[in-house]
Amino acid sequence: MATHRDTNVNRTRTVSLIVIAVVVLALPLFLSQRYLFRILINIFFFAALGSAWNIIGGYAGQLSLGHAAFLALGAYSTGLLLLHYNVAPWAGVLPGSILAALVAYFLGKLVLRLRGPYLALATLAFGEIVRILLLHFTNVTGGPLGVTIPFTGTNLWSLQFPTEHVNYCISLGLLALCIYVASRIHNSRMGYYLQAIKENQDAAENLGVPLARTKNLALVISAVLTAVMGGFYQIFMTYIDPYAVAGLHMSIEIILVAIIGGVGTVWGPVIGACILVPLMEASNFILGGGRAGASMLIYAVILIIVVLFSPKGLITLVPKLEGYRSE
Amino acid sequence: MGTQVNVFIQALVNGIMIGGVYALIAVGLTLIFGVMDVVNFAHGEFVMVGMFTTYLLHILLTLDPTVSIILVIPIMFCVGVLIQRTLIVRVVGLPHESHILLTLGISVLLMNFTLLIMGADPHSIRTSYKFSSIQIGQILIMLPRFIAFSVAMVASAMLWMFLTWTEMGRGLRAVAEKPEVAILMGINPKKMHWLAFGISIALAGAAGTLVTPFRYIYPNVGQTYCLIAFVVVVLGGMGNIPGAILGAFVIGITESLTCQYVALDLSMLGPYIIFILVLLFKPTGILGKGKAY
Repeated sequence: MATHRDTNVNRTRTVSLIVIAVVVLALPLFLSQRYLFRILINIFFFAALGSAWNIIGGYAGQLSLGHAAFLALGAYSTGLLLLHYNVAPWAGVLPGSILAALVAYFLGKLVLRLRGPYLALATLAFGEIVRILLLHFTNVTGGPLGVTIPFTGTNLWSLQFPTEHVNYCISLGLLALCIYVASRIHNSRMGYYLQAIKENQDAAENLGVPLARTKNLALVISAVLTAVMGGFYQIFMTYIDPYAVAGLHMSIEIILVAIIGGVGTVWGPVIGACILVPLMEASNFILGGGRAGASMLIYAVILIIVVLFSPKGLITLVPKLEGYRSE
Repeated sequence: MGTQVNVFIQALVNGIMIGGVYALIAVGLTLIFGVMDVVNFAHGEFVMVGMFTTYLLHILLTLDPTVSIILVIPIMFCVGVLIQRTLIVRVVGLPHESHILLTLGISVLLMNFTLLIMGADPHSIRTSYKFSSIQIGQILIMLPRFIAFSVAMVASAMLWMFLTWTEMGRGLRAVAEKPEVAILMGINPKKMHWLAFGISIALAGAAGTLVTPFRYIYPNVGQTYCLIAFVVVVLGGMGNIPGAILGAFVIGITESLTCQYVALDLSMLGPYIIFILVLLFKPTGILGKGKAY
């Protein structure tokens, strides 16, 4: 009986995934406005970041408030290598990801034994240290001026195109990658380890879960995916500065996407991004883009409401997806 | 040689002056943690709200910060009690993630609300004594900083006396130490929670008022104070008031010395590195006890 239901659920899931994929892939054919493209790309971008954060912050419950630092490592490595050595972005993001992996590894060794507020504070300080260093070493990073990639016409090497079609496909591909990695982890032995760590670290350790190794691996995977997204951010935005990529607000936005959608679930970050990004655009549109505070103000109100009234995220409000949550 | 020593002492004195203000911010943060077991990520934003309240009182009623502090303290106490009773009370006793996310939400809310209303431009308050200073030998102490330090120290001392000698203060400490036993002694922990939150926010607001004569007032200013307060509180041991005061001076002096001897824009790097080191080697702080992992 149970297997029958499982195949049914599996079939519904496969069918709905295929439908979503077809719709998302066909969308660019019907979109003409650049603005709408950018909104969709932003949704994919934040959904991917939320999925990456979720691996350590959601599945394992290790609240990291410094993920923007990994984003910055990827973005700066891609941008600086392209600007100074004309290294193609898809290659330039590699050193950034390796650097992010190394930094995450040592950071994890140092701080992942901390718990609750202590861990949150340590990662917060880590993010701020990276931001301050990016601001300070002006001759390498450009300091507060950041890195700008000038548009020099259509260029396949540096991924510069007059329309957003390519960025659309790249961001969609990266989102698919992040979701794939996240769901593979979620359904693996490591996923169960992480869940056990989230529920009760001491009990998990007593049952033989290798605490330090599992948490550290989750942080490294999460950091690498975040750094890759950083590389895309540089290409997509063409301009980055320490505040935009390494600021605390970026770490908070990444967390919000996961928390609001449904922390510790595979599809939660996607739902979170689908809600947050259009909302941010709408608020900027209605209240005027010049008023920078408007969108973050709405974020804050939603975060407070979610924490107080729906701590498991808005995914719990979608009954169809409820079944997938636990898988 | 003599000038070298003077520069060092000058940096030390500057550090002590600002350390006094950090102490006032940090004792509030540590009080909330001690009594309610809540980590308040919005603490710096209350400093910012205190600064803007002072600024508005200055613009609208031409009040000097040294006078308006008398108004700011009760206003901020009420703000604190209001936020505690409407929002914070719902997460007391829940896992730490809920506190962190809720107070983070309050922090972003306050910051961007101010940004929306007041704009991003920095403001400053002109006082008649803005550039006055006291000279002791070769050492200069700026008068506004000295006033800030002295008032902060008096306020911290008053908090200590309140906690040590009054019935209510003893109640607060009882709830911090053993909530279950405090209930048996007829203390209402809910009342103590909003009292602690109100006092803590009032102190943060007062600190905001004290720094207005020599620091710029802008919506994002709270983040810096928030991080400093965390560093101080962890350094002194979470929930430990004398520890917080000691930690505040350590951080004030570190910041001032980094500023003097390393680089101006790296002034916050010293405190953060100390912070990570403390988290690594003695996460419960210099004077702290308890368990961090």
